[in-house]
Amino acid sequence: MPSRAQNLEVLLSGVANGDEAAFAELYQATASKLLGVALRILRSREIAEEVLQEAFFKVWERAGDYNSDIASPVTWMATIVRNRALDEARRRVNRPTGDESELENIESDDEHPIAGLERAEDVKRLLRCLDGLESEKKEIVRLAYLDGMSREALAKRFDRPEGTIKTWLHRSLAQLKGCLEQ
Amino acid sequence: MTELDDIDGLAAEYVLGTLTREERVAVTERRIAERPLDRAIAAWERRLGPLVETVAPVAPSANLYNKIRAQIGLSQHVVSLKAREQKLARRAARWRNAFVGVSAIAASLVGILGYRENFERKDARQYVAVLDTGSNMTGFLLTLDTGTNMAVITAVNPPKQSNKTYQVWMVSDKMSGPKSLGMVDRPGEMKKMPMQSGPEMDLFMNASFAVSLEPLGGSPTGSPTGPVLFTGKLVQATP
Repeated sequence: MPSRAQNLEVLLSGVANGDEAAFAELYQATASKLLGVALRILRSREIAEEVLQEAFFKVWERAGDYNSDIASPVTWMATIVRNRALDEARRRVNRPTGDESELENIESDDEHPIAGLERAEDVKRLLRCLDGLESEKKEIVRLAYLDGMSREALAKRFDRPEGTIKTWLHRSLAQLKGCLEQ
Repeated sequence: MTELDDIDGLAAEYVLGTLTREERVAVTERRIAERPLDRAIAAWERRLGPLVETVAPVAPSANLYNKIRAQIGLSQHVVSLKAREQKLARRAARWRNAFVGVSAIAASLVGILGYRENFERKDARQYVAVLDTGSNMTGFLLTLDTGTNMAVITAVNPPKQSNKTYQVWMVSDKMSGPKSLGMVDRPGEMKKMPMQSGPEMDLFMNASFAVSLEPLGGSPTGSPTGPVLFTGKLVQATP
C-alpha cells in the first residue's frame, strides 16, 4: 500500500498539471493540519485562514516546483504556510500577547492523540533528539518553531537577555543537527 | 560539540522563526543569489519539518475552500483573457495588413479618377466589453466613452440570485489586487462611473473585468470571495 506521503506526492503532481480534483483532495488531506500550524503562530483564526488561503493559492501555482528529493509534501506545504505566517506575525508588531481566547479549542499539549500511533520514522528521530536537550532549551526550540516566538519574546518569557537566548538557540540547534546526523 | 557557522546559524534561525522582520526580509533576498544559504535553509526545513506533525489539526471554515477556488478561478480567467487578447491582437494585425493592401489599390484608383475625399481621422471614442461566462451567456456589458469620460456597466441578463449579489471587479497586473467597481444586480440596471482621462483611463482600458457572486452588501474582504462567473475586456467598438 502506498504511504500517505506517496499519495500526497501523486496529488501534488496532479495539481502541477492543473488537475482540480487532485487539488480538492490535497486540500481535504492537509488543510486542517496546515491551519493548525498557522493558528499556533498567528493566534487569530481570521488571519490564519487568510494565510492558508494564500498558501494554497501558492501551492496551486507552484506545485510544479515541488521536488520529492528535498522535502515531503507536508513539509513543503508547511514551509509555505510557516513562512507566510511568520512574515505576517513579524509584520504585526503589536500582536496581542497573552490573548489565548481564540486558542481555547486547541490542545495546549503538543501531542495530537492519534499522532503517536502512526508517526513516521523522521518524526520519532527528531523528537528523540529534542529529548536530548535540557528541558528549558527544548521548550525554547518548540516555542520558536511551533508558536513563532521571536528572540525578543523568548527573552521576555525566560527573563534572559536576547544575546543569551541567541547563544542557547545556536547551541541547541547545533546539538540537534549533530544528533540527527548520527 | 558541533558548532554552526554563520550561514548555517542564520539558516537555522530563519527556519526556526526567531529572526526579526528585517532579518527575515534580508534572508529572503539573499537566498535567491546565495546557493549555500538556500541549501542550508532547505536542510533545516528538512530537519525541523517533522515537528509540524505534532501540531493538532484545526478544521478550516466551510467556505475557505471556495475562497481559494475563486482566487484560482480569477487568476485563470485573467490568464485565458490574456491569451484571448493576444489572439484578437494577431487577428487585428492580419486585418490591418489586408486593409493596407486594399487601401493601396483604392488610393491608386483614387489617383486615376482624380477624386479626393476629405477624410478626417477621428480617434476612437467608444469601447465595449462583453462580460460572459466563457461560453455563450452574456451577463454584463461594460461601455466606455472616451469623449464624455464615462464608463457604464449594465446588467444584461444575469441569472437571478437570491441572497447574493453580483459584484464587478477590475483586474490589472498594474494593480496589487482586484478593485471593486460596485454591485449591479437587476437586469437592465446601469451603473455610471465617471473617470478622468489620462492614467486612470489608460489603466481602465487595458484592464480585465470580472463579476463574482458575493454576499448581500458585497465582498466582506475587499477581494472576490465567491465564484467568478463573468469576465471580459474592452474592445474598440467604433472605428
